[in-house]
Amino acid sequence: MKTIDQVFATNKKIGLMTHVVAGYPDLAATADLIRLMADSGVDLVEIQIPFSDPLADGPTIMRASQHALDNGITTNDCFRLAEDMANKVDIPLLFMTYGNIPFAMGMERFMRRSAGAGIQGLIIPDLPFDEETDDHLTLAHKAGLKVIQVTSPSTNKKRLEKVCSIAEGFIYSTLKVGITGAGTDIDDQGIAFLNRIRSLTDLPIAAGFGISSPEHVEKLMGKTDMAVIGSHVINLYEKKGPQGVARFLEQCRHVGS
Amino acid sequence: MTTKAIEQRFGPYGGRYVPEMLIPALDELTEAYAGLRNDPGFQQELSDLFTTYSGRPTPLTYAANLTRRLGGCKIYLKMEGLNHTGAHKITNALGQGLVARKMGKTRLIAETGAGQHGVATATVAAKLGMACTVFMGQVDIQRQYPNVYAMRLLGAEVVPVTFGTRTLKDAVNAALKHWIEHLDDTHYLIGSALGPAPYPAMVRDFQSVIGREVKTQIMEAEGRLPDSLVACVGGGSNSIGLFAPFVDEPSVRCFGTEAGGTGPKPGENAARFGENPQIGIVQGYKSYFLQNDDGQVQETHSISAGLDYAGIGPELAQLHDEGRIHFSSVLDSEVLEAFKILCREEGIIPALESAHAVARAMQLAPGLPKDHIMVINISGRGDKDIFITAKHLDETRWVEFLKSEVQDIENH
Ligand SMILES: Cc1ncc(COP(=O)(O)O)c(C=O)c1O
Repeated sequence: MKTIDQVFATNKKIGLMTHVVAGYPDLAATADLIRLMADSGVDLVEIQIPFSDPLADGPTIMRASQHALDNGITTNDCFRLAEDMANKVDIPLLFMTYGNIPFAMGMERFMRRSAGAGIQGLIIPDLPFDEETDDHLTLAHKAGLKVIQVTSPSTNKKRLEKVCSIAEGFIYSTLKVGITGAGTDIDDQGIAFLNRIRSLTDLPIAAGFGISSPEHVEKLMGKTDMAVIGSHVINLYEKKGPQGVARFLEQCRHVGS
Repeated sequence: MTTKAIEQRFGPYGGRYVPEMLIPALDELTEAYAGLRNDPGFQQELSDLFTTYSGRPTPLTYAANLTRRLGGCKIYLKMEGLNHTGAHKITNALGQGLVARKMGKTRLIAETGAGQHGVATATVAAKLGMACTVFMGQVDIQRQYPNVYAMRLLGAEVVPVTFGTRTLKDAVNAALKHWIEHLDDTHYLIGSALGPAPYPAMVRDFQSVIGREVKTQIMEAEGRLPDSLVACVGGGSNSIGLFAPFVDEPSVRCFGTEAGGTGPKPGENAARFGENPQIGIVQGYKSYFLQNDDGQVQETHSISAGLDYAGIGPELAQLHDEGRIHFSSVLDSEVLEAFKILCREEGIIPALESAHAVARAMQLAPGLPKDHIMVINISGRGDKDIFITAKHLDETRWVEFLKSEVQDIENH
């Protein structure tokens, strides 16, 4: 399997990261979707472990999470899915979830099990680096996981410098101050913020929130190393099925190759 | 007013477990409040609003009949229900509303369970000339309709929350998300002593006027401090408000009463210190939450919408661990019984939330000596609960009344 660093070392114009909610619409479909994403040239996939109270999620992802939970998806199911997928695709997989999920399992155990399942990194938006969290950064390192730091255009200079100094793998920035959701425009403020991050770190940058067309991806080319697509994929899946998702991803990949 | 720094944490609890994009807004609020907390002009303005608008100080009433009936200790009632809009919630809403206006915000948003906090926020928005949006679970809109009507009269937009449990917990999620999208002009007026810092400390500070008044009033009435304090605990704002000024008085025992609902099984109650207390990180703070082994927050039940919440304020969590507050729960059925008794004995119709505290006091009082002084916080009045209590206590006549009202409307 490729590592996160290897993914960013290829000289694509812009990479693609996509998002799935484990267990939406069911586990088998999530597995098929991850494989389809890898086959369509996606570079990284973040697998969301559903949570009952997802603070940063907009209506689409929230609905998908709730559906998965209503169907009885557990954290164990997500580990099994990751393990299965890590054996079947050669792109890095990340877990995206909220702090209470690893906290409930015990940080150390969660980190070890994630790494054991072939997960390479974690995105946990409600665990800021400076909060007391049973030392999740150290425990993640010990397990060999990268904790991806999330920033947004409202992050001030001092905090951004700090985030950049502890970040690893890549920095994930939202393009707007808001919750996830498809269909917003990529505005100058978002782009200006990417430039600010760029001036502070040599780490690669991924940008997301609102990306829903190949044009959006094109607009980000040269500004960011990777575009992140979440809600739009779920919407497409619901309206046009896996084939619709595949077609869209190929169009996006075309922009970057 | 205290000059201590605003607490970010309470022992291991509290904190700011929020997406990075909310941190600047919390910093801004912390800074603004830190300045205003020690600003005599601000405190005077708030204090004037308390006395000329919301009706403070609220009375401390000796409950002679209840005392006689229970045959134990001497019982006093702190009458928070006599506040404007009917509950302690207005105190915090006025405080935060003023802070928000000083910060230059033009909109207030709030979450509400029983609707009391929503009404309080809508009232303050009207008074201070600000716009107002209130998020309320669909289940709560059904059971607290009188307050929904009031909020709309006051000019607030009431947004039904249709996801999750469709109660208070998800109203909080909806409000937080809305806030994230409208940080520039909007203040999120959190209704209890919870959420990310600085909210738990700020709400505690505003509500502490309850306990401070009790201190003065009981000294006047009895010449000494009370021996025990009893309050209901939803998120924990009326309880921490009553307890906080007494926490450093070791002779005063504090009793927090949670919603025992219909029984001990998951989903039947909202007793976070019930069978198996679980610490978690939810809605921006670390505390005890009703959750399953995976960390998914559980459904709750209580006859009172204001206590039907899965989390509890972080300072109360710490005081629980330290053994400073004794928590236990009472059942819906015991609450209805206590509700009836307070009506009949004292001529006071309490909120169902407050009736939880009365039910707990009824268990405690008979075993206590006659010279023991107990203060029960009557956090709100029961007008808002008419659709619940009438259904349980006066079903036939209530149904007849509702039918005739509908008929009347249809005939005209
Ligand atoms: C009258 C009344 N009492 C108590 C509560 C419980 O909240 P808290 O524990 O924050 O005081 C509410 C909440 O809506 C309420 O309306």
